[in-house]
Amino acid sequence: MSADATSTPAERLRVRLTVNGAPVEREVEARLSLADFLRQDLGLTGTHVGCEHGVCGACTVLLDGRSARSCLLLAAQLDGARVTTIEGLTPAEGPSPLQEAFRACHAMQCGFCTPGMIVASTELLTATPAPDEAEIREALAGNLCMCTGYVNIVRAVTAASRAGARKRAR
Amino acid sequence: MSESGGRWVGAAVPLKEDARLVAGRGRFLDDIDRGRLLHAAMLRSPHAHARIVRLDASGAAAVPGVHAVLTGAEAAERSGPIRPLIPTTASVPDHCLAVDRVRYVGEPVAAVAAVDRATAEDALERIVVEYAPLPAVVDPEAAMRPDAPLLYPALGTNVLWHDAFTYGDVDGAMARADGILKERFVIQRYASTPLETFGAIAEYDPGLDAYEFWTNDQRPGLTISILAASLGVPQSRLRLHCPDIGGAFGNKRRPAYLLVCALLARSAGRPVKWVEDRIENLTALMHACNGIMEVELGYRADGTLLALSVRDVADEGKNLLTPTQHNLIKLGNIANGYRIPAVRYEAWSVLTNKCPSGANRGIGKPFMCFAIERAMSLLARRLGLDPAELRLRNYVTEAEMPYTTPPGAEYDSGDYPATLRRALERFDYAGRRAEQARARAEGRLLGIGIATSVEPAGTNLASYELVTGRRAASGSAEAAMVRVEPDGQVRASLGDPSSGQGYETVVAQIVADVLGVTPAAVSVARGFDSATTPWLYLSGNYSNKFSVTDVGAVLGAATRVRDKLLRIAAHRLEIDAADLELRDGAAMVRGAPDRRLPLAELARTAYADVLGLPPGEDPGLEAHHVHQNPLARPVDADRRVRSQLVFANAAHCCLVEIDPRTGQIALRKYVVVHDCGRELNPLIVEGMVHGSTVHGIGAALLEEFRYDETGQLLTSTFMDYLKPTAVDVPAIEVDRLEHPSPVTPLGAKGVGEGGAIPGPAAVANAVEDALAHLGVVVRSLPITPEQVWRWLRGELASGPLASGPLTSGPLTLPSPQRGEGGGRG
Repeated sequence: MSADATSTPAERLRVRLTVNGAPVEREVEARLSLADFLRQDLGLTGTHVGCEHGVCGACTVLLDGRSARSCLLLAAQLDGARVTTIEGLTPAEGPSPLQEAFRACHAMQCGFCTPGMIVASTELLTATPAPDEAEIREALAGNLCMCTGYVNIVRAVTAASRAGARKRAR
Repeated sequence: MSESGGRWVGAAVPLKEDARLVAGRGRFLDDIDRGRLLHAAMLRSPHAHARIVRLDASGAAAVPGVHAVLTGAEAAERSGPIRPLIPTTASVPDHCLAVDRVRYVGEPVAAVAAVDRATAEDALERIVVEYAPLPAVVDPEAAMRPDAPLLYPALGTNVLWHDAFTYGDVDGAMARADGILKERFVIQRYASTPLETFGAIAEYDPGLDAYEFWTNDQRPGLTISILAASLGVPQSRLRLHCPDIGGAFGNKRRPAYLLVCALLARSAGRPVKWVEDRIENLTALMHACNGIMEVELGYRADGTLLALSVRDVADEGKNLLTPTQHNLIKLGNIANGYRIPAVRYEAWSVLTNKCPSGANRGIGKPFMCFAIERAMSLLARRLGLDPAELRLRNYVTEAEMPYTTPPGAEYDSGDYPATLRRALERFDYAGRRAEQARARAEGRLLGIGIATSVEPAGTNLASYELVTGRRAASGSAEAAMVRVEPDGQVRASLGDPSSGQGYETVVAQIVADVLGVTPAAVSVARGFDSATTPWLYLSGNYSNKFSVTDVGAVLGAATRVRDKLLRIAAHRLEIDAADLELRDGAAMVRGAPDRRLPLAELARTAYADVLGLPPGEDPGLEAHHVHQNPLARPVDADRRVRSQLVFANAAHCCLVEIDPRTGQIALRKYVVVHDCGRELNPLIVEGMVHGSTVHGIGAALLEEFRYDETGQLLTSTFMDYLKPTAVDVPAIEVDRLEHPSPVTPLGAKGVGEGGAIPGPAAVANAVEDALAHLGVVVRSLPITPEQVWRWLRGELASGPLASGPLTSGPLTLPSPQRGEGGGRG
């Protein structure tokens, strides 16, 4: 959504970045967070905003392959960056094995934290394909879930890593 | 009518909802856009208590991009006060914005709608408010004193309600007792803090003089009635939608914010969205009541409980919507799972200059359970009995079911001793005790905690009559709709919007069994839409009510559709309907499955070829049903009432280890055994048990809305209001018994509040068990590492945790306030 011509003047900057593999070029207010940019300017509402102070992890995205809080980043600082959101981690043909594992294990209830959990788990499994429970819990310690008590989320990541191992063995 | 066939009900069906949620394709409130949408922001009080001397919002109105500004005075002119659910006091109007006085830090005093959120927030800075600070009252006992500063001088007191209830010969039983355990417990303010914050969109249609809302409010039936009354429009010109709700836990009901959006939208002539930020959520949405409970437990030398007397102070903050709710629910669950023949309960519901209290997972029961289960553990220590053994001696047994407690709760079924025994077995209780002794010899501090609970489902609103003296609302009911569409596919909707409980899946399972289709063939409406969902004033997502009302509504509607399908098929096949069954998407002759008519063909008859219907049969295949739970009855002459209806039960056993150098508490093992009757979908049930237990752990060890003496909230972000993370909690181990309820349509009981009830007590009992040799008694929550460290240093006298046991005499109290209650029109 673009601001009205009558809106409070705020410095506007042009950014060029890659979002989910596609080039994006926009003029943004300097104060616009990456989370709001993704949700409002690009319509990528899978990235959720839970606390806006970098604690809850609901807004986690991948920034050049590493997890990052999109509520603590400004869109204007991301010129040249590569951003991946939950939409970018969802294959067109259907859910990824990690997403399948989350569903099979019912690793969510309200689902508000889920995109952030999937993003954080993706980062973990990319670096550590066969994590143990302690490693999974450590990797997800920056993502709050108010519903599940984390039990089924840990199960899902474990299941996805095992499925990944089976796939690699073949 | 025959019950559900049971092929899908009870199966661990993966959730329909999860398919969209894993892809980030849920549709939450903030994901909804409307054309020409404006965004609101609220200006909030920095003072806990102050008069508003002057408020000038003209500067905000002049900011480019601002389209509407609303002050408290304007809101009070343009809308009526918010009608309370439990009207305890007369003549105290509660408007959607503060009018001439603020009563807690974070109370909204003005609002702005602008082209975007940043512009609205900028404009707030142009609003000039001159406050004259007043003394704040933060502590509920201080608020009860005659000389306390008053939130509402017109009331002449901060005590909204005070009453005493006696059931049985309490004095006689106490006199006969071999001993009386007296303790005083304090519990903090905390909240479940759903990850999605509260919010709303309001739109005004001047052509129809009608309002439309989108909101994650979890109790739409009540909210619609409040909004219509305050806005002065008929309910027929008000439409409310709930999308996917990102958790609620009782916290998401604050009609004031919807009113603010509506008034802004009407001024601006454009739709207005407001989404709470996290600081607003923690500061001003809803906290569970903090409070004080004094417990006297009369017992025989063998541990048999004879009488219980409780004095309970509930700190409501500035809650005028649902005051006394925590008190009443404690009364309804006062005996926990124990046979206690005589009970006295004296209660105070008290206003303070803090965030409004309200519903939070378990409402009152976590504190009630904490007090009783702490008392039981202390009594076991006093008597030299094993804490498990003391409980086993006092449980209501399966043979005594149904069992009516002194205040009138009826425990319908279950085997409470068996639940605890299973938990002890799963926990390896004897082995853990040995491990604890070995660890102690090595200088390590291990503690074992046991706590058990009953978990009610469904609220009977008639219980509010105990407070108000009249019956405004009563009973427990929900509405549902089931429809076979013209193409033979099935659609259903429910007056209870899910906030993570998986209703789209469970409702589909129930309907699938009745109509002989698969859950995949049943589309269940997301959320709620007052224009298309059948609903009641009682409709909503609260009080663990799915199993006791919603299931019956869905089953009833599906059964009506099934019966009609069978009548149509019987007519078409020229056979008696009794010889037909619905299976595999068709009506077929029993024993001759080749003689069949698919649902699509029956639907074609019902909607298109209507001359093919049986004589007298109306076209269409749609049915509504309302299930009113028959257990809900009025208050009786002895002031006994089933305030809640159907009872599950649980036993928790946990092992903690305390680091003697730092006071850090680590949960090493946590076992839950529960019995919620028939499990409709075990995937959902187990998830609820995990999550609710972690809510209990958070309350025990981490979470506290801490106010200073001036009423400033010191924990208003997730940096200082601490929630459990994945590394703070162990993998909760769950096992179950399954005693179906004889009084619910499918035998299910509530499971949503679950571990939030006994969790705090279980953890507290474990910490105390680890430190008992030092003389530590846990009397309040949360138990912080700092407090443990002080205990380890021998500082038993410091802090509220070490406050001495109650000796005698009443609290310092104002005179009883009876006679002020009720009477509000």
